[in-house]
Amino acid sequence: MTPTHFSFTTAFILGLMGVAFHRTHLLSALLCLEGMMLSLFIALSVWSFQMGVTNFTPAPMMLLAFSACEASAGLALLVATARTHGTDRLQNLNLLQC
Amino acid sequence: MSYLFCMWLVLLILGLVAVASNPAPYFAALGLVVVAGAGCAVLAGFGASFLAVVLFLIYLGGMLVVFAYSAALAAEPHPEGWWDVSVLEYVIFYLVGVGVAVAYFSSEWYNYLLPVVSVCKEFFVLCEDVGGVGVMYSLGGGLLVICASVLLLSLFVVLELVRGASRGALRAV
Repeated sequence: MTPTHFSFTTAFILGLMGVAFHRTHLLSALLCLEGMMLSLFIALSVWSFQMGVTNFTPAPMMLLAFSACEASAGLALLVATARTHGTDRLQNLNLLQC
Repeated sequence: MSYLFCMWLVLLILGLVAVASNPAPYFAALGLVVVAGAGCAVLAGFGASFLAVVLFLIYLGGMLVVFAYSAALAAEPHPEGWWDVSVLEYVIFYLVGVGVAVAYFSSEWYNYLLPVVSVCKEFFVLCEDVGGVGVMYSLGGGLLVICASVLLLSLFVVLELVRGASRGALRAV
């Protein structure tokens, strides 16, 4: 495992652990998801460059478009949660009443 | 592999540690800026100049402005930084984990620390990522149409989610 492969794999696993463990805010979970998508972008780009596959380089661009979709849906959920619950703390999402 | 490139790799991991260690969203967004800059520098070090520029512009120009707006929406009077105890123990835990992984995998890294291999691609005439992204407009036209329709669909998803408290997908009952 080269140092580049090690670093983006570690970045992905760190983002995954950050999502999986206890989060205070919904927005910081979304930021961890963004970090995971960023490490996936670096992984796809580095793969296509080290293999010399020129035709694979559109794949990171499309991953970036899909991560924009994910970020927009997450931020819309954040705005809707801040409207109905008054805050975006994840403890309040356990409440059944609003 | 030069020492500057290794510094960007280390900064990539440290930025993700800063994001994942559960600080306030202000500081987590700052960590994500560091990660985006380091990732851009890593891609530029590989020679993928166009993809590096795209990454930097999309993340810092597009998403992080929206994230700064949402961090202002989720504001709190005393944001907790990395020096608070509850965040600092996450930082120490992640750093110890990364250190264990480095100690496990670093036995074969002395091959890659020599600046040998990465220069031999400079005899190519075509810049590889620019030509490759251009393929998206000719052969990958169907995928491009799919991406555009997915973005349009996500626009309608966002409009339906934030529609209001009485109508729409998420409502207060």
